[in-house]
Amino acid sequence: MAVTDIQISICGSAGDGTIAAGDILKTTMARIGYRVIAFDLYPAEIRGFGKCISRTRITSDQVYSMKQQSDVLVSLDDGHTIPHVGEVRDYGAVIYDSFPITMLPEGGHISGHIKPGQIPYGLPIREISERATSSSRSRNIVALGFVAGAYGLPADAFRETIAAKFKTKAASVTEANIAAFDAGYEIGADTFRLDFVSFSEPPETKVEGADVVMMSGNAAVARGCLDAGIDTYFGYPITPATTIMERLASEMPKQGARLLQTEDEISAIAATIGAGYAGARAATATSGPGLALMAEMLGLGVMAEVPAVVIVSQRGGPSTGMPTKTEQSDLHLAVFGGAGDAQRIVLAPTNVEGCYRCAGKAFEMAERYQTPVVVLMDLYLSNRLETVNLPRVSPFAAGLSKDVEADTPAGTYQRFAITDDLVSPRALPGQADRMHTVTGLEHNESGRPSDQAAVHIEMSRKRHEKLKAALDHPDITICKRFGDEGPVDVGLLCWGSTFGESLEAMMKAQDEGIRCSAMKVVMLSPLPLDRILAFFEDCREVLVPELNYEGQFANLVTAATGRPVHRLNQVTGMPMRVEDILERIRALAAPPSRSAAE
Amino acid sequence: MSSRMHHVIIGNGVAGDQAAATLRERDSDSRITIVTAGTLLFTNRYKLPQVFAGKTDWREYLVHPPSYYEERDITVRRRSVVIRVDPDRRVLVLQHHEEVGYDRLLVAAGGAAYLPEALRESAHLLDSFATFRSAMIARERLPDGGTLIMLGGDMIGLDMARTVLASGYRVVLVPNERTFWPHQVAAEELPDYLGALERSGIEVVRKGPVERLEEGAAGRPDRRLVFADGSDLEGDVVMAFCGLVPSLGFMHGAGVDIERGLLVNPELRTTNERIWAAGDVCQIWSEEEKGYRFYYGWKNVKMMGEVAARNMTGDHVQVDTFKDEKLVIDAEGRIDSPYWRYD
Amino acid sequence: MPDMRNPVYVEEKLAEIEASGRLDYRSDSLPTWCPGCGYYAMTEGLTSALNRLGIAQKDVVVVSGIGCASRFPFFMRTYGFHTLHGRVLPVATGVKLANDSLHVIAIGGDGDGFAIGGGHISHAARRNLDCTYLLFDNGIYGLTKGQTSPTSVVGFRTKTSPYENRDEPLNPLMMLLSYGASWVGQAYAGRPHHLADMIAAAIDHRGFSYLHILSPCVTFDKTTKTYQNLNVQVRDLPSDHDPSDLMAAMALAADTNRPALGLYFRASRPTLDENLDRIVEAAGGPLPPDRQRDRQSATR
Repeated sequence: MAVTDIQISICGSAGDGTIAAGDILKTTMARIGYRVIAFDLYPAEIRGFGKCISRTRITSDQVYSMKQQSDVLVSLDDGHTIPHVGEVRDYGAVIYDSFPITMLPEGGHISGHIKPGQIPYGLPIREISERATSSSRSRNIVALGFVAGAYGLPADAFRETIAAKFKTKAASVTEANIAAFDAGYEIGADTFRLDFVSFSEPPETKVEGADVVMMSGNAAVARGCLDAGIDTYFGYPITPATTIMERLASEMPKQGARLLQTEDEISAIAATIGAGYAGARAATATSGPGLALMAEMLGLGVMAEVPAVVIVSQRGGPSTGMPTKTEQSDLHLAVFGGAGDAQRIVLAPTNVEGCYRCAGKAFEMAERYQTPVVVLMDLYLSNRLETVNLPRVSPFAAGLSKDVEADTPAGTYQRFAITDDLVSPRALPGQADRMHTVTGLEHNESGRPSDQAAVHIEMSRKRHEKLKAALDHPDITICKRFGDEGPVDVGLLCWGSTFGESLEAMMKAQDEGIRCSAMKVVMLSPLPLDRILAFFEDCREVLVPELNYEGQFANLVTAATGRPVHRLNQVTGMPMRVEDILERIRALAAPPSRSAAE
Repeated sequence: MSSRMHHVIIGNGVAGDQAAATLRERDSDSRITIVTAGTLLFTNRYKLPQVFAGKTDWREYLVHPPSYYEERDITVRRRSVVIRVDPDRRVLVLQHHEEVGYDRLLVAAGGAAYLPEALRESAHLLDSFATFRSAMIARERLPDGGTLIMLGGDMIGLDMARTVLASGYRVVLVPNERTFWPHQVAAEELPDYLGALERSGIEVVRKGPVERLEEGAAGRPDRRLVFADGSDLEGDVVMAFCGLVPSLGFMHGAGVDIERGLLVNPELRTTNERIWAAGDVCQIWSEEEKGYRFYYGWKNVKMMGEVAARNMTGDHVQVDTFKDEKLVIDAEGRIDSPYWRYD
Repeated sequence: MPDMRNPVYVEEKLAEIEASGRLDYRSDSLPTWCPGCGYYAMTEGLTSALNRLGIAQKDVVVVSGIGCASRFPFFMRTYGFHTLHGRVLPVATGVKLANDSLHVIAIGGDGDGFAIGGGHISHAARRNLDCTYLLFDNGIYGLTKGQTSPTSVVGFRTKTSPYENRDEPLNPLMMLLSYGASWVGQAYAGRPHHLADMIAAAIDHRGFSYLHILSPCVTFDKTTKTYQNLNVQVRDLPSDHDPSDLMAAMALAADTNRPALGLYFRASRPTLDENLDRIVEAAGGPLPPDRQRDRQSATR
């Protein structure tokens, strides 16, 4: 377990600079050398005084999820923060303004809601801000300074981050913010602390050949695309995938690559497929509703064996659903969506570093296996910030398309020739003597439309079986088991971001003496069936936790293995709670008579 | 807010703690809020000198764990300083700009340390065991085997002196008219009692009145007490235990009768029919003595908390105070007092 | 024009055709269109245009949607992509932007283009995607055996409009002119030589070229857009028409009773790939020398 493991929540109104304070905290702690994982809550409306919560978990060892309970809560707006007081653990701290401007009715001040086990720290934040900067706008920075001072965090590192953050503004802005920070810091350092929150020394950050960078899942995806040498991006704005396109819009031209915002998702995927056909490394990103629109085109990509990368960040559904909430309910769509037997490769990263890796590897796989590849993530991963080890040199390979043999005589080339590995040599437009047409109709090896039974059977086999090689694609973990080896009482079979919470639940269960193991499945199509079946062999009970109502991954696994599983399905719009998974593990670990499979 | 009856208790000491428990026992429906200026839940202050014995986790001083309050649905508003009470609107006004309404109010704010005139200017040089924080600060400042100078020496202080002595420190008492407070000790008996203290290990300095307290010079112990006769006494930590005065500044203007403490009848009710008082803050009418008087000691105060709570919930019981207030010297020749009985 | 007074001999003609080289652009697959379909003229027109312009087969990508026109790529010995109904232009966009040395010919019918594909045309046009869009307007859905289309005339009876079509047809030429297409022309399958010339001009234009081709469906439309009717209706654009005059072009396009053939509008403006190259330069990214700012943007 981590030596330092502190989660700090800052809660306020949209205009309070809540997120900005959280950003400074995350950036500074990452720079000092801690591992950071953070997830902010934004108000759904663009304007107004909606609630913002910035949560940052700071650890010395790598962790995989946010904690259900925070150690420190800062209130920049009592009205918004009061409902969240319960999230601070016993002997954690609640920090607030002890001198609001107006007289409040009973219950209007957070001090009346602090639980018996929590430690209150009140300081006149607004007054301090006004004294230090002649304005109350820096309350968030004062509070941040108080936290830094109270817990003995290095002030210089914070000042550097503040200076960098405001460097495009007037010098007076930076000065004011530093003055506010210092004022809060001084008071914090002098405060006699009664909470049990402490930071140990940050760990050494050196990782061979990599930089430790804090980034969001979307930023990691964009970075993965760039490092894999993306040539074209066509996309349409949709929450929560939009920022992938926005980042690439700035970065791709610097690499000589081309990005275009299309008129809709269908155009986006169509252009991606067209570009892939012509030899480009092409990608698009969307969410569930967009993926639904793209389904027909994905099928074309599968049928015509065209490489394409489709990033999907799932959000609450169905239909327009809950655009700013997270969910994992597009698995069926990603794996099966589209007319006919249109199997494609689907990768589901489990953390931010996985988003980087799966995005880059998706281009490799699309090119090598000549198929669309879906990278399936979710809003939690898209918006979550984590410290990741980013390789300095791109780890992704280029030029994996199987070329046509140079001595192939003109006029004899067959685009869909059946080969040993079922992947045909691929000619690209512009290459002499290799002309051919690809189509969405069923076709023979030459690509000519054909509805003959023998042709359809053979081509169906080709398109499905060639993908199995992806299970052995180099340098990507498609499936991995953690925790106790050998036979266990309870096995967690997980995918996507839920793996993080599951892993923490598994570790807690192990601490309680339960034999427990967790397996993350990154490649959802094709499924690594052998490894999953071996996992089933070792587990007395298998639990599949996921954020959807129907148990989509459970359905997939049960159908593929014929084995029953227990389901933990949640549709809260928020990440799954470690406690809920742990409770289920305990129930399943109890004597067998009480845990019949569902 | 809610339509439930709201009992508010100002003060999180023995009286307030007992009152809250009794209120909850007798009325499972009402809201109960304890309002205190401190940061911690109810701690046993008599044990605080144990910080010198190495018990520096404040959770060990909590009388009840946090779950106790959650189970009984008792709200403890900490860091909440009452500025005044408005008996017409029935609200408390808190320093942090919040108003809290009450249906029944119990003032159990206890007493603050009394400081003789000569010491008031140098109050910042004094340490105390009033809170965990002050006890920890005193511990930081007291070196191994260091000297604690006790001014006055009321029964609370003398009780704590026993723990400090047992932890290997030197305790020096500078007696004054408040020594052995709240016991009344006749002048002719004083030397016997002081002798009993010396037998228990406390050094007693008989040098007459203190003129001032100052910081020690560089290289010397931190504190220097200067007497009227020009002599001095050096020590590391100086604490004043000169008895208590009721904490009731916020009650001025609340329309209840006040003498030195809040005046209450034997049912502990003030002159306002919704306000009661218990503990060191109140003076209770004594039919026998035909006057208002204080009652001290853990047992008395606890009983008062219970009586007030019962009467706030419809009962009409009267205080039954422990009247044995004699300071004694026991068989081994050491001081003992009924005020030192804590359960 | 061959007629009884100027006979053409088959052997001579075949020899001439083979010598021209334009059969190289044709694949071994024979078209499956109905005899008399206007698409035959279009095929001849496209192969002769490519041949005339000297564009290598390997550099041509024919992109089609779904419909009778969509079979087209199979009959060509070039690269081809037979895509989905209505999605010709977005796919063409992707192909072109992946490799802008390719000549992209987008082919589709009136239903493919203006019904399901209607949302895409304006964007390809306004971005000035450098491709040639050959739109076959037969006013019907032929492949699915005769349903009303967005360009069917009012009163047309089909299997889905047995009580007569009552919807006003779209005016594709006016639409493309208003979309900002940089080359808009109209031709007719019944005038194959003119059609071939127009196709060559469209391909030659650098930018989005829209050629609207009136093409009868001999099998399912026996009443409205037949050769018989169109032969009478079509005319040439006035010889004094200035193709840089957008409003004049619009006015001419509005007259659907007498469809005029020829070049309606032409403008020269940066193409999509050129604009993206400028973006790369603005970002300080790398560009091959032939695509840098001082490159000529004249016709090839």
